[in-house]
Amino acid sequence: MIKQYFQQAWAQLRQQPLISGVTVAGTALSIFLIMLVVMMQQVQVEPFAPESNRDRFLHVKWGSIANEAWGDSNSNGPWSAASLKEIYGKLTTPEAVTVYVVYSLPKPVSLPGQPTTAVDVRETDSQFWTVFDFAFTDGKPFDQATFDAGRPVAVITESVARLLFGTTKAVGKEFLLAHAPYRVCGVVKDVSTLAETAYAQVWIPYTSTDQVNNTWENDLMGLMSCTILARDRSDFPAIREEAARRLDEFNKVIGENGYKIINRNRPYDQEKNALVAGANVEPDVTAARRTRFIIFLILLIVPAINLSSMTQSRLRRRVAEIGVRRAFGCTRMELLGQILGENFIVTLLAGVLGLIISLLFAFLLGDTLFVQSWNTTLNPPVVDASILIHASTFGWALLFCFVLNLLSTGIPAWRASRMNIVEAINGKAQ
Amino acid sequence: MNKKLFTQIRNEWRSNLWLALELLVVSVVMWYIIDLLYCRLATYMEPRGFDTEHCYLITMGVLTDKSPDYTPYSDTHKQTDEVRELVERLRRRPEVEAVSLSQNSYPYNGSNGSAEVDYDTLHAPRWTIRRIVTPDFVRVFRYRGARGETPEQLAEILERGDFLASDNLYRKYSVPMTSLVGKKEFYLFGDTAQMYRLGAALQNVRYDDFSQARSSYSMVFNMNLLSDDWIHADNELCVRVRADRDQNFMENLKADSEKQFRIGNLYISDIKSFKDIRRSFQQGETSQMRNLVVGMGFLLLNIFLGLLGTFWFRTQQRRGEIALHKAMGATDGAVFGRLMSEGIFLLLIVTVLAVVIDIVLAHFELNSWRNGTTLEWPRLLFCVAATFVLIAAMIGIGIGLPARRAMKVQPAEALHDE
Repeated sequence: MIKQYFQQAWAQLRQQPLISGVTVAGTALSIFLIMLVVMMQQVQVEPFAPESNRDRFLHVKWGSIANEAWGDSNSNGPWSAASLKEIYGKLTTPEAVTVYVVYSLPKPVSLPGQPTTAVDVRETDSQFWTVFDFAFTDGKPFDQATFDAGRPVAVITESVARLLFGTTKAVGKEFLLAHAPYRVCGVVKDVSTLAETAYAQVWIPYTSTDQVNNTWENDLMGLMSCTILARDRSDFPAIREEAARRLDEFNKVIGENGYKIINRNRPYDQEKNALVAGANVEPDVTAARRTRFIIFLILLIVPAINLSSMTQSRLRRRVAEIGVRRAFGCTRMELLGQILGENFIVTLLAGVLGLIISLLFAFLLGDTLFVQSWNTTLNPPVVDASILIHASTFGWALLFCFVLNLLSTGIPAWRASRMNIVEAINGKAQ
Repeated sequence: MNKKLFTQIRNEWRSNLWLALELLVVSVVMWYIIDLLYCRLATYMEPRGFDTEHCYLITMGVLTDKSPDYTPYSDTHKQTDEVRELVERLRRRPEVEAVSLSQNSYPYNGSNGSAEVDYDTLHAPRWTIRRIVTPDFVRVFRYRGARGETPEQLAEILERGDFLASDNLYRKYSVPMTSLVGKKEFYLFGDTAQMYRLGAALQNVRYDDFSQARSSYSMVFNMNLLSDDWIHADNELCVRVRADRDQNFMENLKADSEKQFRIGNLYISDIKSFKDIRRSFQQGETSQMRNLVVGMGFLLLNIFLGLLGTFWFRTQQRRGEIALHKAMGATDGAVFGRLMSEGIFLLLIVTVLAVVIDIVLAHFELNSWRNGTTLEWPRLLFCVAATFVLIAAMIGIGIGLPARRAMKVQPAEALHDE
């Protein structure tokens, strides 16, 4: 049965080379563009190292704060470490909570007496290494004791290790970071800027600098963000509830100075956090999904109308065959299934082609395709297979092929299956 | 002739319906994209009110106590003095034209502060951007006065202690700021204890390349009038390099930074060109525009493929008919024109419907905003026309190929059987 579908599909493709070409090209093009849109979204929400736990993340990137004395204006931006530790650091439901500087910031590194190079440095705590899973090729992350003592140690990427020491085996070596001596405690694989929360080229304890004192608004705001790692996604409501309780308590304390935190429903999960444009607006996940849905709809419907009229023309040539099949007892459903099945093979073939092209495209032009909207680093995003290819990538491709096939073949197939047998055999049916 | 064309279109209504449906969807979507691109580009080309060419941003850093060179700050050893000294040293470099310090002020900056500017009963909009700067800032970014004041004159005005405001600050009251220049009764930052004089109105300074001048409100205030606490290493240090000497500025400065620009605890930690800053700041918008252009290409390609496929079939089916047409004396051109007008006529009918949908969309504010509205008739007309021309071009190619084939039909051969 399936073999017959293949034979039929192949024979039809060969009968009308131009129409087949147009059909395959149209389908492949549609799937190609749809998959690019899918991938642009996936690099922001699908897990890959070091953000392998994206589905269990809750982020507090920024905060908003108001004061009785300010009227209706408010202050928006990153937090101070103290505020975050007070509100989120003491949560008991999540597995881990990390507090880190909101962006990686360029700082000069060098060996003593040598010219400096600016690299992206992120200041973190020690839980950072639990929440994010970096691939260590040498050494290990700094621990809680090192962090508490504020010792000048650093985790660096392989590229920075090569730049400074000419080798990736750099643990124990010393270098100057912002003109202060730091010791390398670990070397990790390079991180793509697409892992926006974890990205940097050098990571150091934020206690080793003056970051704790880099605050304003009565030490409430500063330069820090926080990410909560839940044990499971189903814990999200419990974590939110606990966080809301702690926030209420915090608000009572700071309320004595007239301050009040405007929460805007934080913390956000990965999908919502990826949409954050400014600290003063809550992202609208539903609107973003709707936009994506409309884009998919347009990318499916326009080619589907095209393909549909071509399927229609093709079926018109098989009217007699369909009539004979019906006369010999083939049911309408079987016929419908057959036509849809045959076409699905063609759609799938073209879909695979489209997916391959889109993957090639993404690999070759990833640095411009996945460019982030605004970033403190000027380094372009780097992509690899672990970032681009997920089981869901194929799932989506298959789903879109199926929908496209249904849209483009559904109506012609339905009409063919309802043809009058006598007229069909006579060749009179349209 | 036209009547025959009509009849023909009606006779093939079933497959024409598919085509018409496709043309309709594409026409509306194309209009939406062209409208968006038109708005973006028209805004892009407005005067910016500043100039970032040959400008650089220098990030300063401060040593921590982990560094052997660190010396704690005290009453006699202040960060402010180190920052001022760094500015002076930069100013002495021969290729440097102007150096400024500022807070949340440079163009293409994601960090903003807001300012209140009140005069009598007039209030500036809430999102008026506060630019606290040293007077040379207006020389670095070449701000211009609404009455033609040069950056140098504006710097003097700031030096004098007056503030500057964009001309549109009181737009909602229809009061241009130029009419208030010299008035001394301004209250700034919600502080009612002190009054300030407006020194000059600025040509509107746009927030970025995709924000319109009319809705970019800003004011400029001299940082030196505030306490010394305002001057520190977290300030933005911006430099304008002389146009004729803007070669390898970043490399040269980096090379010299260890020897010449380590001042006490202060050091230069990074240098970025405004070319990079601008690109990075706007890459969300630019990549969205690129995606839309690709999407538009995809839709056009679909029109092309759809018409090619349909008309390929049609010319095959109508072989006899076309031959007869030719046998009765029709020229090649007439056959070609007949097929072509079938497509264009279809597009004309669809466009009428599409325009109605476009107007409804614009009425419900579902397309792009410009000049404070979504429905501007000249813009709508232009975008509809552009959509029509683009789709018509695709129809031309899509039908052109099969039509050329049809032209070559030999009546004798095609009608052989008859």
